[in-house]
Parts: sequence; structure tokens; C-alpha cells
Amino acid sequence: MIVRVKLIATYREHLPPGTNGNSTEVDVPPGHTVGEVLTPFNIPMDDSSVIVLNGLTVPLDTVVVEGDTVAAFSAIAGG
Amino acid sequence: MYGWHGRILRINLNTGKASSEEIDPKIAKDYIGGRGWAIRYLADEVDPRVDPFSPDNKLIFATGPLTATTAPTGNRYMVVTKSPLTGALAHSNSGGDFPTWMKRTGHDMFIFEGRAEEPVYVWVNEDQVEIRPAAHLWGKDVHETTDILLGETDAKAKVACIGPAGENLVLMAVIMNDKHRAAARSGVGAVMGSKNLKAVVVMGRKNPDLYDDEGMRRYSVELSKQVGVDIKKGSSLRVYGTAYVPQVTNTLGILPTRNFQTGVFEGVDSIDGVALKEKYLISHKPCYRCPISCGRLTAVDEEEYAGKGEGPEYETIASLGSACGVDNLAALTKANYYCNELGLDTISTGLTIAAAMELYEMGVIGIDEIGRPLPFGDADAVIDMVQKIAYRDGFGDELAEGSFRLAERYNHPEVSVTARKQEFPGYDPRGSQGMGLLYATSNKGASHMEGDVAYEEVFGTPVKADPLSTDGKGELVARFQDAFALIDSGGICVFFAVRYVFTKEMMIWPVQLSRLLNLTTGADYSPEEAIQAAERVYNLERMFLIGAGSGPEQDTLSPRMLHEPMPDGPAKGRVVDLEIMLSEYYQVRDWPGGIPSEEKLSSLGLI
Repeated sequence: MIVRVKLIATYREHLPPGTNGNSTEVDVPPGHTVGEVLTPFNIPMDDSSVIVLNGLTVPLDTVVVEGDTVAAFSAIAGG
Repeated sequence: MYGWHGRILRINLNTGKASSEEIDPKIAKDYIGGRGWAIRYLADEVDPRVDPFSPDNKLIFATGPLTATTAPTGNRYMVVTKSPLTGALAHSNSGGDFPTWMKRTGHDMFIFEGRAEEPVYVWVNEDQVEIRPAAHLWGKDVHETTDILLGETDAKAKVACIGPAGENLVLMAVIMNDKHRAAARSGVGAVMGSKNLKAVVVMGRKNPDLYDDEGMRRYSVELSKQVGVDIKKGSSLRVYGTAYVPQVTNTLGILPTRNFQTGVFEGVDSIDGVALKEKYLISHKPCYRCPISCGRLTAVDEEEYAGKGEGPEYETIASLGSACGVDNLAALTKANYYCNELGLDTISTGLTIAAAMELYEMGVIGIDEIGRPLPFGDADAVIDMVQKIAYRDGFGDELAEGSFRLAERYNHPEVSVTARKQEFPGYDPRGSQGMGLLYATSNKGASHMEGDVAYEEVFGTPVKADPLSTDGKGELVARFQDAFALIDSGGICVFFAVRYVFTKEMMIWPVQLSRLLNLTTGADYSPEEAIQAAERVYNLERMFLIGAGSGPEQDTLSPRMLHEPMPDGPAKGRVVDLEIMLSEYYQVRDWPGGIPSEEKLSSLGLI
């Protein structure tokens, strides 16, 4: 099933080379979690990252479904 | 004294006389400096019911004990006065170079009182203070004014001035320093204009003596190294400036769009930090000695929008961009340049234009009133309105009063997105509940700079909080407000301070910041004492608000936030659940019914 991964600002460099924009689609098996979706992208999986599912704060072991968007960015200061 | 010079420069514009006075060491410690000292003096010397444009109102510039030291980002100052926009308190913060140069004059704080008969500027070169005629500068923009004054005084001096907007008493007028930096909110520039004070120029070499010079140097290096480690890992602030934030807030569904009618903007990719970096970035432009360097020098080549300057910052992208439905980055950058040159707050200006756009699309106002069409997304109309506001030209005269008064005039309060009559910054609180409580209770009206809990709700710093939850937000907001009062009184920047000089183990607790204050002043603050001083500042400001008639009845938000559910995005269906958070907040603050209790005031030494 297809899930979108959006990596914002400096995390864009974790997207596959040649990616247009800040997101890409990945094909994952049913039952995959937010954490598992992000594993191949080498995002720091600690409190130095903010990770959201469809814009919502959820535990990393939340199971994703078709059409979901998992987004991540670095947890540093605002504007 | 150490850290502080302990000297205040008082400039009476009625008499044209300047005098220097010493501060009571107890007040110095109890109120820290900067914002704290300024509210102590304002509360002692100004009736909170004063007309903000009366000569009896005072305009205070204040540095903190960490300003002009080696403390990383130790280069901020505050402008404090009674606000013409909110009718309550203004305390606006700025960086650049000016704050350090101001402190090097040998004074921590300037108090401007009265009103000059003719336009003047004040030239402070250490102990030499001159009040000079400024008729030749009146009407000139910020860049021209700055260049002329550097020619007339000292090329190495630093200038803070108003543009035409401040002269014309526009309620969202700013005080610009170093051409591109703004003490932006609450109409401080209009108060300066009302005093016929066009500019303040500073020069000096008097760095404050520090209590432990060598210890301070070593600790500053250690803290700067921590910043350096984050930058090496890839700090979004360093790479993109604050312009990376639209993608974050849009993802969370809280990017102000078409006057806060929704929190998701379809044009975000065209106006974010990546686009800005690729198209218009020339270089980083740090405040004096800042290790973060979030400022951006930019230039636009497109003929129609050509210009050069600093910005846009996130707040400007949200207000002049998405809030106006504008996805044209060149045009919104040009509108930002105009705001800086004419001396306007981009947040209130953008949101007031957005409110007018909504009224136009509702058919409440038309071409007859405005003089042109004003639909959402019309970037050229935004640029046109910015200029008209600064000169109070035509319909700009109505917009110059801000969105609250505009909405009242046309009997549609829902189009003004304000708290205490001041426009919201770029976080829709329906999807960031703590920000809603912050805006409602902020002493300066809606602002992110008075306890920005978006740090936790949006950016996960120092720890992540769920932005849609109201649990514990009363305490979170109170703690952040006190932390920011401490930062603003100390004279450093929130971008550095929240992450590096507070410990997250006790929510937000100033362990490292107290150490910085002690190395600088020798005043031996414990973290508890430092936070208590900040709480003293916050409560004294609150008492000023109550005296000004802006008390608990004003602890609310515009109707859209309380009654119109977010139509789409992650926060779909939500309004701000203010009452439940406000009740917890009053309890945490010991403000029964929103009024500080006698016990609280007594424990802080305020009665």
C-alpha cells in the first residue's frame, strides 16, 4: 500500500536523490508503523525529531493505512 | 555594578534636556533589566489610563545585563510604552547591532518623555547627548534616514528610527534599527512619532564590567560550541532562516490562510524557505556576534518587484503571504521591503489587509471604498495597500487603525483575528491550543514573543507537546511566559535561550541562564530567584493592564477562534477550548478571577 513521506527543511536531504519537492511515496506492507515507514530514511528517531502522522501527534508504533502521510522535521526553534 | 552600568539616560523632549541617573541596586536585581526595568519605571511614572499619544506617555528603550556581553545572542533590546493599538502595554523586542551600541554608550536604559515641538533626533555618544532638529528627515523612509544620520554623526554609529508610518501615527508602526530590524509590535513607532522623535543614534565604547570576565568568556564559548554542534547536524534555522516554518505549520494545518479561514494553504511550496533560498537569498545576515545567524539578506530581480533587503521571515510569509492568499514570493518579499522602509509591522499590516480582503469578498466593502478590487491572492493589491497604510492615503487611513477597528466599523467582528486588538502571529490556535491561551493572556496582546509554546506544540523543543490537547496548557503557558519575561529582561534572544539555557527536566527552568546572569552581574541568582523575578515582571505588567482597563474581560480571542471550527486539515472541527485552559491558568498564576491575589503580589514584593 502507498504511503507518503514528507521530510521538511534540512530533512529533505534524507529523501532519495532526485526527489522533486519535499515528499515521496513509498510502498509498504500492511501493518507497517510510522517508525517502520521512516526507518529507510535514516531520520534520527529520538527527541531531536518531530514526527507526525497526517499532521497529528501519535506514537511511533501507530499502524499506517493507505493514503497516510508521515512527516518529519528537526526539533529546533521556531519563527 | 557588574553587567549593568546602573545608569539610566532620561531625555525630556519638552525641555530639550537630558540627564543621567543611577538605578537602585535592589530594583536592578529584582527586575533583572530590559523588559523588567522598563515596566518598573513605566508603572511608577505613567498613569496606565494615559492617552498613548499624550506627552505624558513615556517611551523606554532598555537593554539587559547580558546585552553587549559575550553571552551568545547577547544583543537584544526592548521598547516599552503604553500601546496605541491595544490600549494596554507594548513591549517589543529587537536585535541587529543597535542594542549593543546602545549599551556601550554607558547607559542600560533610555527614557524619552514629553513631546518635542518640532521633529528631532537624539544623538547619544557616550555622555554627550544632543537633541538635534530633524525637519529634514521628516517624511523620509528608514533607509534614507539611516544613511543621512550616519553621515551627520559617525559612520560607525547605529540608528533606530521611524518611517513615514510612525510619523503618521499608524497604529501598527514599528521602530526600525540597523535598517532591517524591527521592534515591531503594538504600535511603538507611532508613540515615537507622537513625540516628534524621528530617530535615536548611538555610539560608544563602554562595555559593561563583568563580575567574572574569564568565567563568562569560557562559559560563552562552551554554549556557542553547543550551538555549533546543532548547526553542523543541519540546523534548519541556519540553512533556511525562519522561512522553513511554513511547511511545518502547513503540515500541522495551522498556517494562517485567507484571514484564518483555514490552516492549509495550497500555495505553500511557492513561498517557503526552499524557494526563498533558491531564488532570492544573497547571504546570511546575523545580529551582532550571533552564532545562529537566522537573518537573510535577499534581493529580488523581477523588474516589477525589484528590491533588496532582509527577509521575509516566517511571520511575514504567513501574514503578507498565505493570510492574504498570496503565493507570489517576489511580490510578498517586495511588500516586506516596503514595510521595513516605511516602518510597518508586517504581522498586523498583513492581517489587517487580509481582514479587508475578506470584507471585500463578502461584498461589505467595494471598489468605491477601497479604490480598487481587493480579492484574496491579489499580490499587487497587497503592495498597494501597504503603501497606502503608511501614508494614511485613501482607504489606507482606515486600515491604519488595525483590523479590530476596521471590523468594528463595518460591523463584522469575525474578520478581525486579534486578542487585545492586536493581530495574531502565524499559528492558528485552533490547531495549537496552548497558543490560543497564550494569545488570550499575553500582556502585549496576541504575540508569539511572550511565551511561545509553539516551541513545544509545533517544534518539539525542549520537549514535544500535543498541540491539540488542552491538558496542562495553563501551567505550560504560565511557565513559558515567565521564561520569556526572563529572556527579555536579560537581553538575549529566544532562539538561543529556549534551547540552550533552560533545562527541560523541570518543564522550562533557567539553570544555565542563572549562571550566565551570575557570571555577568555577580548578583547570585538561584534559578528560583530568577524565575521569581520574571514572575514579578509579569505580574507588574498585568497590574498595569488592569489599570489600563484591559484586565480579565479582555482575556479572550476573536469570535472566529471560539465559534468557527477549523474547516479542514489535521485540526478539522476544532475551536480553541479557551475556558478550560484559562481556568487552569488563573489557578497556576494565583489570579482568582484573573486578578493577582494579594498573597501573590505580596510574595513578589509588589505591595
